[in-house]
Amino acid sequence: MSKGVHRFALLVAGATFFLIIAGANVTSRDAGLAVPDWPLAFGQFFPKMVGNVFWEHGHRLVATSVGILTIALAVYLQIRERRGWVKRLGWIALGGVIAQGLLGGLTVKLNLPLVVSAAHATLAQLFFLTTVSLAVFTSRKWIEPPIEVRQEAPGVPLRTLCVFALTVILVQLVLGATLRHSATWDQTLPAGLLLGHIAGAIIVTLVLGATIATVLTRYRAENYLTRPALIAAGLLLVQLVLGITAYIARAASPSDPQPLNPMIWVTVAHVACGALVFAATIVLTLRAFRILKVERGAYALAAA
Amino acid sequence: MFSKSARLWLGLIAAASLLSLASSCSNKEPEPGPGGPEGKAYTSKGDEGTISGKISFTGAAPEAKKIDTSADAACTSKSPNLMTEDWAVKDGKLANTFIYIKEGTLADNSKIGDYTFTAPSAAATLDQTGCHYKPHVVGVVVNQNISITNSDPTTHNIHFMPANNPDWNQSQVNGAAALTHKMAHAEVLVPVKCNQHPWMKSYVGVMKSPFFAVSAEDGSFTIKGVPPGKYTVVAWHEGGAKGTEKTMEVTVPAKGAATADFAFGASAALSGQPSSLPMLPALEVPMPMKH
Repeated sequence: MSKGVHRFALLVAGATFFLIIAGANVTSRDAGLAVPDWPLAFGQFFPKMVGNVFWEHGHRLVATSVGILTIALAVYLQIRERRGWVKRLGWIALGGVIAQGLLGGLTVKLNLPLVVSAAHATLAQLFFLTTVSLAVFTSRKWIEPPIEVRQEAPGVPLRTLCVFALTVILVQLVLGATLRHSATWDQTLPAGLLLGHIAGAIIVTLVLGATIATVLTRYRAENYLTRPALIAAGLLLVQLVLGITAYIARAASPSDPQPLNPMIWVTVAHVACGALVFAATIVLTLRAFRILKVERGAYALAAA
Repeated sequence: MFSKSARLWLGLIAAASLLSLASSCSNKEPEPGPGGPEGKAYTSKGDEGTISGKISFTGAAPEAKKIDTSADAACTSKSPNLMTEDWAVKDGKLANTFIYIKEGTLADNSKIGDYTFTAPSAAATLDQTGCHYKPHVVGVVVNQNISITNSDPTTHNIHFMPANNPDWNQSQVNGAAALTHKMAHAEVLVPVKCNQHPWMKSYVGVMKSPFFAVSAEDGSFTIKGVPPGKYTVVAWHEGGAKGTEKTMEVTVPAKGAATADFAFGASAALSGQPSSLPMLPALEVPMPMKH
């Protein structure tokens, strides 16, 4: 295990989180088309950073930095990592960030069509998940877990609950991204998508809540699992409060003369916290798969 | 690492999500907008009249809000006290109201929508000055040119966001030549904004006929060259999220003048009663090319 590789993977994950915040600012400030050309900005690499050009081009510069860091990580893994599948994941991450850059360019070239903008926002979260996963896989606690591998306790397998939680969070992120990009700050949010996102929040709370409860009841002595579960629980609560606050602020913004705080920071925080909930859940999921095994016949028994 | 069934579920959910997004896209043709299908060219008979009136505002007018222009020093320097202009009320009179003939029947029982009108050769103008658009509301006939200029010491970006016409987004540096744009489909009203300075807003009414006007500072307006007949006249004003409309039936006598006075009130300003502007349907996800 290389500490250097792990620390670098953490750096890339951290930089990606910062990029998610930068991207969310672009949307909340309605800066998406402040730079109408791509990949250059007004035909230059470094335009005058005034008005919303600061946010849009600033986010492109952060994205470029993340792209360079991801290249470096992929090469670093290729050189220092012994596990072939981790090396491959490094190159998959690189493919993801390149695709994300191209999607970003497409949003500009096509004047922010909803489907492309929502896909850009969703892929950002999936790329973040990949960088977090790389940080997990290169950690000492993954390579040498502090507890022995054991059979899952009776009942609905925790691994299944974790995958289900990840899935509903992803669907909720897609709904949230589509909702955010379906109306600018001076327009009311479409009722159908809004209700769908609220329903999604309830489902995520129930499913992730059940997952966390399972961890805390069946594996309460195992910090390896309870720690990410408790972090996910805390983040989920914060996210629910941010969601309510974001809705209130966003409902009032059509009356404002321009995008203003608190609407900007609360909607950005809601996006960022959603990414952290996703990240905490993937850490829990990966760790659950690392140390828990299911007997071959267990699913057959459950079906019978 | 993941079991086969977990991988299968993840893949199915991802595919279902993508399919649901893709299937909700539709190749929606632009709606024709008010004015109806193509028809015969209108020829003046010399008996046209006018519709004129005043737009008033009853009750306490919403206060203009101060705009924070600190993000661009050039804007602060040229317009240190920039205020919103969505409700420009002076002595109880309301400016920037778009008044137009929506439909009607001429004296010879033909419909106004049966006719086509030649776009004026002179371009309408839209200037970016002091980091706001001048005029705030403007009307054009379909295919009439709009000449866009930048009189500010900063770069602007002009983004037309129509529902019935293609999206149009261009940047324009200080001192650049005028840009020209036109729209081929009638639409009431097309919002225009600057993505660099998000407080900048303008509205363009694209009409099939030249029978429209924008109220002045004193609330007055005049629509000239109206054939004698009975018409539905609409006064549209921005406000809230959707804008507000008032409608009136007006009879224009041959070579005569008809009056149409409209009143907007404080209740309309605050509630933003729905207008006939198209809104994004709640469950539809627009296809690429439309936002």
